[in-house]
Amino acid sequence: MGKTTHFGYQQVDVEKKQGLVKGVFDSVADNYDLMNDVMSMGTHRLWKNYTIASSNVTEGDKVLDIAGGTGDLAIKYRKKVGPSGQVILSDINSSMLEEGRKNLLDHGVIDVEFVQANAESLPFEDNTFDCVSIAFGLRNVTHKNIALEQMHRVLKKGGCLMVLEFSKVENEMLEKLYDFYSFNLIPKLGGLFADDEQSYQYLAESIRKHPDQETLKTMVLDAGFGLCEYHNLSGGIVAVHKAIKT
Amino acid sequence: MFRLTLEKTLNHLINTNNIDTEGLNNKTIGLSVDEFNLKLLFMFTNSRVFVMEMHDQQNIDVDIKLNKTAFLSLFKGASFEELIESDEIDINGSVKTAQQLADLIALTSIDVEELVSHYTGDIIAHQLGKSIKLVKGKANNDKVSIVETLKNDLTTLLVAPSQSRFFNNKTH
Repeated sequence: MGKTTHFGYQQVDVEKKQGLVKGVFDSVADNYDLMNDVMSMGTHRLWKNYTIASSNVTEGDKVLDIAGGTGDLAIKYRKKVGPSGQVILSDINSSMLEEGRKNLLDHGVIDVEFVQANAESLPFEDNTFDCVSIAFGLRNVTHKNIALEQMHRVLKKGGCLMVLEFSKVENEMLEKLYDFYSFNLIPKLGGLFADDEQSYQYLAESIRKHPDQETLKTMVLDAGFGLCEYHNLSGGIVAVHKAIKT
Repeated sequence: MFRLTLEKTLNHLINTNNIDTEGLNNKTIGLSVDEFNLKLLFMFTNSRVFVMEMHDQQNIDVDIKLNKTAFLSLFKGASFEELIESDEIDINGSVKTAQQLADLIALTSIDVEELVSHYTGDIIAHQLGKSIKLVKGKANNDKVSIVETLKNDLTTLLVAPSQSRFFNNKTH
């Protein structure tokens, strides 16, 4: 085995991680929104609303929603940018994009563009977007530093990056409860509601392997962003990193 | 949350009142109030402003330091010149730029005292709504819309960050 990286708690060949993550999301795509609601008891919607409210996106903006999946953020960004703005939903996984298309049509949203793209090689010109947003996607990217550099590249000067991701719980007691919930209940819920316990075991593991708040902030600044700060939500279960390209 | 409240209020004013921020474009302004341990960074870009936390050794164009009284007066629309004359504000950089920011802040008429009195961590939406009192000048007609905008956007206050440390244990 050559260079390795983590896939949940497993060490796998770097070249294989993308395919393994694809397998997980192919498997969960059909029940993605349902499972998010079940696992987070609906709180993921509040986390996403907070991210959008913090983004400073306004009418006429161009927004790139990376790992946009089923499109719940894209729908809200679309509303914010108005008819003169543009929202592009990108995801590396075609099954997730397909779910996104269906979901947006169900919501009567037709003016969002879909692009199947790897966050590590975004197919967009430099300085294109006012806002780049990635929610619960970065931890699945193999080379996060490259992806962050790409996000920096496609943002306009003064543009804003929003990263919503699971993070490090601040309180020890909450952390213990959260660990119990993540490793004992979430996989069971995955088995019960989505007939896929293994993928949700990966989800719990991948969260623990993701960089904590300060580490991710350093990575964002290293990618070229001039300003970065984060806000812990729900005691640090998730964090929103907000960065500006200066 | 205070930063987010201020950021959204300022941007709402800029957008809905066609306030010319050309003179502030690409300017980074620091504003600090030691008594609140409050360090704000205002970054004007692309016809909007980002309000973030200021850190030491950050590159800024204008540095404004003011005491608690002057800070609260600013939000009540006090004369910026008078505050400067009374030595309650210390400005390092362009006074004109500082004045432009002060004018914008005064337009918001956020009741900071009320925010301070409620901020001990997470707050709920209606408290935030009550805290926005647009009572002045051309912003007057916006009173309802901005409160609604903020309430609609900030639906997540129950899960919102508890990073208002500059208010905690500082005011009471």
